[in-house]
Amino acid sequence: MIDALAYVVVALAGVATIWGVVTAVANKPPGKAQLLFAAGVEVVTVAQSIIAAAKLAAGFRPAELATTIGYLIGIVILIPIAWLWANAERNRFSGIVLAVAALAVLAMTLRLLVLWTPAS
Amino acid sequence: MTRAPTKSTDSAVRRTNSGVGRVLVAVYAIFALAATARASVQLLTRFDEAPVAYLLSALAGLIYIVATITLARGTRASRRVALVAIIIELVGVVSIGTLSVVDPAAFPRATVWSIYGIGYGFVPLVLPILGLVWLWHTRAH
Repeated sequence: MIDALAYVVVALAGVATIWGVVTAVANKPPGKAQLLFAAGVEVVTVAQSIIAAAKLAAGFRPAELATTIGYLIGIVILIPIAWLWANAERNRFSGIVLAVAALAVLAMTLRLLVLWTPAS
Repeated sequence: MTRAPTKSTDSAVRRTNSGVGRVLVAVYAIFALAATARASVQLLTRFDEAPVAYLLSALAGLIYIVATITLARGTRASRRVALVAIIIELVGVVSIGTLSVVDPAAFPRATVWSIYGIGYGFVPLVLPILGLVWLWHTRAH
């Protein structure tokens, strides 16, 4: 984990969450820009998990190793699944589905920041 | 767009996987992942610390998985299974939640249902209620 990158993920996921709610309120399905933005959030999230995995491989040991690994894997599957689910039936609720996934990515990244403390 | 072709007449059962139901399925899926992953870690790394709590964690994960799949399928048969799963879920979160308040030592914040799901913003308590409301709302007329 890199703190600055984690906060970038939090900020991007926050924007994706709000964006999803905004299109839902406007009663529109997510547009192309919104879907591309979600893909961008996913790319940064994957980068974060790869960097964290590299640090684990290099010997860093967080206090809750198994939980940390679970979070690093789980966090990267949320947006792809939500993307497919949101596009299978495109309406205002597609935006909420993307927002739910983005909010989960945000929450999991904040949790990862807490988990990322060395074992004493 | 790729929605299954169903006649949505008033006599037909309305599909649980359409409209706002898709959001419900998404939230259930996240809890299926969270509860199952959490239970797996607990069971694999420290089963002997609190076997009952961790097995309940695993049960919670299983129920979320069943509810996610059955709500996402949205057939007549699957909604019956969903109803049973969600009722078990509601009973589970209320009873584990209450037990964890009355006897905190037995549930050291170890399951998604501890203190009515406080670790997850009480969503575990609200989710089964929304699930039942949705099943009622989409029932056959």
